[in-house]
Amino acid sequence: MSGLSLPSVVRSEWIKFRSVRSTLTGLLVTVGLTIGLGALIATAIRGHWDQMDPIAKLTFDPVSTSLGGTLFAQFATGVIGTQFITSEYSSGSIRTTLAAVPRRGLLVAAKLVVLVLTLLVVAELVCVGAFLLGQSIFAGVVPTASLATGGVLRAVLLGGLYLTLLGVWGFALGLILRHSAAAISTFTSLLMVLPIVMLLLPASWQSAASKYLPSELGRAMMSSAPRLDLFSPGVAVTLLVVYVALTTAIGTTLLVRRDA
Amino acid sequence: MLRVDHLTKRFGDNVAVDDLSFDVESGRVTGFLGPNGAGKTTTMRVVLGLDRPTRGSVSINGRSYHDFPAPLREVGALLDAKGVHPGRSARNHLLALAASNRISTSRVDEVLEQTGIASVAHKRVGGFSLGMSQRLGIAAALLGDPGVLLFDEPVNGLDPEGIRWIRDLFATLAREGRTVFVSSHLMSEMALSADQIVVIGRGHLISQGSVDELTRHASGSVFVSSRDDARLTTSLRERGASVMVSERGLEVSGASGSEIGDLALSLGVAVSELTPQRASLEEVFMELTADAVQYGATRSDS
Repeated sequence: MSGLSLPSVVRSEWIKFRSVRSTLTGLLVTVGLTIGLGALIATAIRGHWDQMDPIAKLTFDPVSTSLGGTLFAQFATGVIGTQFITSEYSSGSIRTTLAAVPRRGLLVAAKLVVLVLTLLVVAELVCVGAFLLGQSIFAGVVPTASLATGGVLRAVLLGGLYLTLLGVWGFALGLILRHSAAAISTFTSLLMVLPIVMLLLPASWQSAASKYLPSELGRAMMSSAPRLDLFSPGVAVTLLVVYVALTTAIGTTLLVRRDA
Repeated sequence: MLRVDHLTKRFGDNVAVDDLSFDVESGRVTGFLGPNGAGKTTTMRVVLGLDRPTRGSVSINGRSYHDFPAPLREVGALLDAKGVHPGRSARNHLLALAASNRISTSRVDEVLEQTGIASVAHKRVGGFSLGMSQRLGIAAALLGDPGVLLFDEPVNGLDPEGIRWIRDLFATLAREGRTVFVSSHLMSEMALSADQIVVIGRGHLISQGSVDELTRHASGSVFVSSRDDARLTTSLRERGASVMVSERGLEVSGASGSEIGDLALSLGVAVSELTPQRASLEEVFMELTADAVQYGATRSDS
């Protein structure tokens, strides 16, 4: 009989993840926001397509538009990730957890496996779903895209990856801050307040700097065609992965060093 | 066996545990006593690897907690009964703990039965009373069938029947050869359930020994009642003993029961009662920790 290992701790964390109602609620909200709001946006555009100005029609991207719900769903995955660790602190169960799994790096690895796999499966499914539903709403009136076209499948799949990475980012912030409210408000600030702060910068810096914003990286990842104001999808994914990995590394180091 | 070796733990400027050393032997129940804030919980947290010692070390059967491949099978602990996600069922909580240390599902059901919470195993823990939570915490501690068990204030919130159950459980676990280490600020409880006692105050070791040894060391007095208390009192005082006279008889300290008996015989005074007043563990505890009560109430003399 052996003891602690990545598979055994993953199994343990999977039981914890699926046995609280907030996980299911969070996932349902992710599905509802991505697909539901995506459909709502698509319907609104179809209805106003005739009145839209020519430039807007010219730059219209049926792919990223159908994935517009991710702009809201990112908060749901962020909260799922945050809660996965901060609920352990708020309930005090972190001490039971760490007594059972004293190898704290192993604990973080196991939680990441559970979080990434679950979010990735759900987020990819809802992004493909939102895309297909969006195109069927556009059909006949608004230009549509097909997954077979170059760059479209990539944009849809990166949409799912974006939601997943933001979930992990929420988790990493939770590791660092240990309180749900602090972690979630920091997460929200990164996505919503930082872009507003950017507006205070001189105009010449703005376009250069705002490309680095996580929300802008998300837009870049979900664009099927190259955009001048954004990074290429490859660069955007790399940058977002670096942000998330750095935050996770800081959080893990703190967990290992701090008293529980 | 659990060994605490020159353990010091500081939190900023506050010294929670100060150069504390003691051993906890297997096969008996050891009580860990001290007033609130004495450092009991901190010591237990260091044992479990939750807090890092500032200096010194703790070992379990000669090894550090971090070195166990499956820690729950070596050490079981109840630290904070309410430390469970309120939305999770009792069984799922135990299943998750069991999975990490590769403990079987059948063992989960066994400890649920053993602690008497099998009927509420599928209920969310948030709705549990403190007593039920304590039982769940004890179930978690027993899960890995460990040789060393730590319980931090386990009787809190238990009803009299539960307290009796837990006392029997400790005795059974010790009889099976396990190390049972139980903290409490209630001396009376420990007097009933512990064989050995470790007393700490302000992070220091104050005393260690069996319940008998601790009460024997305390200044005991002898109650005497005789036909001629006045003569006996005079004679005892001449011999340097101190005597408190009451309506019922004499409270003598500074002389043993047999010395008083011999004296009465030589005086020809018939003695109707001669009872050594053993200090209760509670009194010993108050005496021992009098200087070490960190948040003691301010006394006002009227």
